[in-house]
Amino acid sequence: MEGSLFLPAALSETAKDVDVLFYILTGIAVVIFLLVWMLLLIFLVRYRRKHPTKQGLRLYGNTRLEIIWTVIPALILVVLGIYSAQMVYALQKPPADAYEIQVTASKWKWEFTYPDGPNGGFTTLNDLRLPADKPILFRITSTDVIHSFWIPELRIKMDAVPGRETRVWVKPLKEEGKFKVLCAEYCGTAHANMVSDALVMKEEHFGKWVASGGKVDPSGQPLDGKQLAQQFGCLACHAIDGRELAGPTWKGIYGTERELVDGSKVKVDDEYLKESIVNPNAKVVKGYAPSMPAYPQLSDAQLQALVDYIKSLK
Amino acid sequence: MEAAHRSSFLREWILTVDHKKIGILYGITSLVFLFLGGLAALVIRTELFWPGQDVVTPDTFNQLFTMHGTIMIFGFVIPMLTGAFANYLVPIMIGARDMAFPRMNALSYWLFLLGGLVLLSSFFIGHMPDIGWTAYPPYSIESKGLGLDLWVTSVHILGLSSILGAINVIVTIFNLRAPGMTFTRMPLFVWSSLVTAFIQLFGVPALGGAVTTLLLDKHAGTIFYDVAAGGDPMLYQHLFWFYSHPAVYVMILPAMGIVSEIIPVFARKPIFGYKAVAYSSVAIGFLGFLVWAHHMFVAGMQLSEGVPFMVTSMIIAVPSAIKVFNWLATLYRGQIEFTTPMLFSALGFVGLFTIGGLSGLYLANVPLDLHLHDTYFVVAHFHYVILGGSLMAILAGVHYWFPKAFGRMYNETLGKWTFALFFIGVNLTFFPMHFMGMLNMPRRYFDYSYDPSLTLLNQLSTIGAYITGLGAILLAVNLVVSAVRGAKASANPWGALTLEWQTSSPPPHENFEEIPVVTWGPYDYGEPEAPRKRLKYGQTIGSRPLSG
Repeated sequence: MEGSLFLPAALSETAKDVDVLFYILTGIAVVIFLLVWMLLLIFLVRYRRKHPTKQGLRLYGNTRLEIIWTVIPALILVVLGIYSAQMVYALQKPPADAYEIQVTASKWKWEFTYPDGPNGGFTTLNDLRLPADKPILFRITSTDVIHSFWIPELRIKMDAVPGRETRVWVKPLKEEGKFKVLCAEYCGTAHANMVSDALVMKEEHFGKWVASGGKVDPSGQPLDGKQLAQQFGCLACHAIDGRELAGPTWKGIYGTERELVDGSKVKVDDEYLKESIVNPNAKVVKGYAPSMPAYPQLSDAQLQALVDYIKSLK
Repeated sequence: MEAAHRSSFLREWILTVDHKKIGILYGITSLVFLFLGGLAALVIRTELFWPGQDVVTPDTFNQLFTMHGTIMIFGFVIPMLTGAFANYLVPIMIGARDMAFPRMNALSYWLFLLGGLVLLSSFFIGHMPDIGWTAYPPYSIESKGLGLDLWVTSVHILGLSSILGAINVIVTIFNLRAPGMTFTRMPLFVWSSLVTAFIQLFGVPALGGAVTTLLLDKHAGTIFYDVAAGGDPMLYQHLFWFYSHPAVYVMILPAMGIVSEIIPVFARKPIFGYKAVAYSSVAIGFLGFLVWAHHMFVAGMQLSEGVPFMVTSMIIAVPSAIKVFNWLATLYRGQIEFTTPMLFSALGFVGLFTIGGLSGLYLANVPLDLHLHDTYFVVAHFHYVILGGSLMAILAGVHYWFPKAFGRMYNETLGKWTFALFFIGVNLTFFPMHFMGMLNMPRRYFDYSYDPSLTLLNQLSTIGAYITGLGAILLAVNLVVSAVRGAKASANPWGALTLEWQTSSPPPHENFEEIPVVTWGPYDYGEPEAPRKRLKYGQTIGSRPLSG
């Protein structure tokens, strides 16, 4: 499943088909490239002028050669065109049993809405989960400017256009796999940070995950806030034993009232904690520099797990 | 007369209506823009040397790539080819005394300068546009500050300049050819300039319309792109690319013309397949208007709607391939001299444009474009076309016609070093970009922290950009020093047959003492072989040249 020097790992059937086409075209391109450069170098070396007044051969053209080098490239392109066009029609039509995921792009995050689970569906933030070996139809839109939904490992890309629903479908392979969703259409300041995690899960794991509303991790275990806090590096600045590091300690912070830099007061509850993780500079507590990086890529489930962990530190 | 001209800079340069001086003004201004656009590119590449934020903020980065693209396309490549080269060469190559409308010609230049200054003013007042050179709504309309307004104003002024220039070229070629200068005796650069002028004339109004709708939406409350009111952002993309894909051919056809002039001279052979080269330009000009939606395969069109555009985009590769094969065949059994212009034309243009053409086949292909669209592969592709193609030809042309325009020779050793630096720099900068795009790097990304394994490719590319920058400095030094101190150039230092070389260097006011009567083809070099067996198929022998 490792990618080559040329292409990332191919984790969908579409990816395998696209890669075959890619290598066919690369074969053709390399042959033409070598032909042109070989002739170029041979002629430049072989016919180098040795006497300054020498003239070349007075040769104005050759109709038969012109026809040959018009028709041969044209024929190659016709074959390539027919092969590619067939693929386009196959790529366009999703199977009837495709699992539908709604993709909503906005500056600068990805939201994925799953049609089932508790309360008839739920939404994750920057956390795309796909069942393995099952066709998936993405219904894509944007709430503000144009974005583009790109998953390199699946070889699919489709713009997210405000006011429109665009669609693309794909069937991930059987194996589990982890990769990223990138935004490929320029959308402003944080265009390059509009990255989401994506994960292909075994179908039974995916089923459990959906049934829990995105609250359990792929192996079926509930998300562990402590582990997440270590993973994201929170504990480098937030102590859990009462010490003051670069940021406020988490010990006993939940439920207290804190004074902000602008003098106003805020109660430390679920909502405030989540906001401070996603957008730390919105409400900075007095006495601290606004230096915490934002973590907009966390899913709702991850945020909740972190908050629950902080809550537990009495 | 001469004394009066020399007496005043104002009279000689500011008030001039002489096509050669206007051409030189265009050339110098464009080269200044090349350096400004190049500086922006160096900052961009420096930022990308490491993942994360290093030298500029994301917003500055976005402004820089917008300015880089806009300056290079509208401030350098297009005015250099259609302003500097076409202005200087078209009248003199067809044996005319000037353009058909000399004052309108001067107006074209001054509008170009004004448009360029409007764009640059955004830098000085701190409102650089951050909308990309494509300015897609709704992002471009929402963008804060005066960036969009200055950008649109600049595009309008430059567009007007282009339209006036195009009319001038067309009318001049149709009406002012010297006696005996039939269409099939015209130098191939003139052919390509004619086709280019028609593309500008038909395409620029579409661009003007497109960018006007942006301003109207922003200021006049129209709803072209307001989805809440039923507008549709894709309309803009259609209008924009209807001009901007043909604009690619505006940037490559005259470059092909330059190469077609230079290769026969230094191979001492007629161009192989004159008509094939000339008519393939016409074919490219026509087909260029039928491929625009290949920029939009994943923009929200139904995928199969892309198929006809995939077909036209593949067809347009054929006339380009024809040209490459004809240039190669021109080298066959030539007597090749390796001057700087020849290196830029043969190894530079023919060799590197081929790479840009081949990578275009990937992007024309709908299934492959699903993966490659809007990635660094696209950036690699069009830079191979524009630097590997247009820029190599421009630098070939700058060296080749330098003795004609300034009456002095450039330094050949420095010229060859310039070529070496540009050739290495361009390849090192842009070849790794193919791999970045194929792997997972979208274009216009300020940061690639999501995959630090992209670092090595990015660093190679940045080193290449600095090598190219060194080449540009060497170029400037060579041109400036040679214009003042270079050895005196004779009327025809290359032994070329086209008309601009049959008059003094630099040519007199109104080009010729007496309008020439043309009785030879532009590329009648070479000696017939004694038993002419090889000429059996479709052979033609022109009349003997007057000189050469």
